Amino acid sequence: MNVEAVLTALLAAAILSSTALLLAAVGEAISERAGLLNLGIEGVMLISSLAAFWLTLESGSTALGLLGGGAAGLLCGIVFGLLATIGRADQVVLGLGTTLAGGGGSAFLFREIYGSDQPLLAQGQGRPFQGLLDWLPVIGPAVADQRWFIYVAWLLVFGAQFVVARTTFGLRIRAAGESPFGLEAVGGSVIRMRVAAAAIAGTLSGLGGACVSVVELGFFSPGITAGAGFLAIALAMLGRLSPVRILFGTLAFGLLTGLDTGLQIAGVDVRPEFLAMLPYLGIVIALVAFGRGTRLPRALGKPYTGIAGSR
Amino acid sequence: MSRHRPIHNRLSLLPVGLAMLLVAQALGPPTAAMAQDAAVESVAIVTPASRTNQGWDQQGVDNLVAVGEELGIEVEVVENAGYDDITPILNDLADDGFDLIVCHASGYQTVCPEFAQSSGVPVVVIENPGAVASALVADIETQAQEAAYLAGVLAGLETTTGTVAVVVSGEPPTWNFMTVGFAEGLHSVNPEATLLYQVIGEAAYDDAPNAKRVTESVIAAGADIVFGMGDGASFGMIQAINEHNQNLPPEEVVMFIDVIGDKSGSDAGQYLLSSVLFDYRGAYTQLVQQLDEGTFGKVYTMSLENEGVRLLEIAESADPETVSHVEETQAAIIDGSIEVSAVGDADGVHGRLDELFPR
Repeated sequence: MNVEAVLTALLAAAILSSTALLLAAVGEAISERAGLLNLGIEGVMLISSLAAFWLTLESGSTALGLLGGGAAGLLCGIVFGLLATIGRADQVVLGLGTTLAGGGGSAFLFREIYGSDQPLLAQGQGRPFQGLLDWLPVIGPAVADQRWFIYVAWLLVFGAQFVVARTTFGLRIRAAGESPFGLEAVGGSVIRMRVAAAAIAGTLSGLGGACVSVVELGFFSPGITAGAGFLAIALAMLGRLSPVRILFGTLAFGLLTGLDTGLQIAGVDVRPEFLAMLPYLGIVIALVAFGRGTRLPRALGKPYTGIAGSR
Repeated sequence: MSRHRPIHNRLSLLPVGLAMLLVAQALGPPTAAMAQDAAVESVAIVTPASRTNQGWDQQGVDNLVAVGEELGIEVEVVENAGYDDITPILNDLADDGFDLIVCHASGYQTVCPEFAQSSGVPVVVIENPGAVASALVADIETQAQEAAYLAGVLAGLETTTGTVAVVVSGEPPTWNFMTVGFAEGLHSVNPEATLLYQVIGEAAYDDAPNAKRVTESVIAAGADIVFGMGDGASFGMIQAINEHNQNLPPEEVVMFIDVIGDKSGSDAGQYLLSSVLFDYRGAYTQLVQQLDEGTFGKVYTMSLENEGVRLLEIAESADPETVSHVEETQAAIIDGSIEVSAVGDADGVHGRLDELFPR
């Protein structure tokens, strides 16, 4: 058995499968920074995943499909943001409702569009850096032979980190979650910032969902994200709402997910159920070990009523 | 005044008494006789996942619908019922007057027999012969180990790398029977082969992302034939193979052996070597007839002989000698000269794999 090839495949799969999680988790982090707890990530991912798949299949363009997925997420994010701020809806109920509606709606639409067919996308996406790092065993090909969207996703993460940490816009987003009254006192609009954050979160989650169906798998099926939206919420907290920390957290999760496959191939005689539990156990342990110092924004989950109780 | 009523007066009460007995019978607890009364007019099927998953659920639904059309029976489909307690669903179906309920998952092994006993509505369960009860519970044994044995022979003769993988989305009895059958078939023609056995998760039937990841890993480990049992997760395996085979010459491609349904005419059929097909039509027809005749409550085992299971026509890319060998093996299984082990429990599977292909 070619051990190097197996390790490379496992690492490459970890990077690929962690990308959707990464995008959704960074989106959730930005939303939480602005004070909005969005438990509807899973539903947004599912709807966007279907939209991206449909558009890719119809147009033959992966890029267009991904943009469509992002646009579907943007729309969901804006609706969530408006309902949570102007509508003053309970964020937990709204989020769970979004997840249920997204799951049911995407399954219904998929059935309406395709019936009992299961179309598959051709796997023809470009790998711009393929072969560039072949001199570096395992890590080289695993990192360099990915599809182009993976690198775009990484750029988006670093871009999000820059915007949140270094720009006035990012400062206002953080202020909306940390000190909304302070933000309004200096002339900022809490509602506008929160809706903007929800829109960004929706777009990133939408791209995450699109990544699953268009980049990672090449098909859509009901419930295809398999709880990735909820994992993204846990990983956002594990990464203390920092995009770069979240990047490492999702990669670690992807590696732990691949560990059970590696151990089975190596012939380690451990029950598969125990091995499948490892990544989730890892998240719980990491949350306990590193999450204790996490300080969430003070106004997270609280509807903003304005300085004088008005909007 | 007589202390006794005249005999004709007592006789006149007889119809009233009989009527009361009938009413009491109707209102009393269910009995086996009740379940046998009427001809079957309507049948319901409950599936854990989507009826369009091109796997276990779809095959059961499609086959029952076909039997319903043939016999003129109304068929109701309840899909996506999951693996939680389905008693409320069963109660609704009973209230709607269905004559028979097919509980199409080994995960319903316990709840459906209990429901049948309490409601008197006959049910069909999967892989639970111990629950069979006259007029109330019948069992279908989807023991496809014989057809899987043929798939193993096919893989053993067609592999060029000498490494073959079995990827499963869980370890339910249905998958376990086939895993052992496949391994025994592989061993019979290629005992030196390497068999990689990979479990995606505990009940990862729709976990396509992990199915794809696992399949990519076994391909990297050298497998050139993948025997995949996944339901919805199968598409993850198929896409891993499609992706791997891009731009490869025909002699280097990885091939897939599927289970349950026939994907050969779909997008997923490009690298399909064959499939272990399940056909429930014979079982359903027989069960409906038994219910009509009052003999319901038996075990129906799907086999090569009764065509409940069979191997899909082998891909044209296969060596004709391989096809001949598979056909000879099928004849030998049907005439009893080859016996395939029926192992349904996960520990038994691991033990048998260790015996056949020690690591």
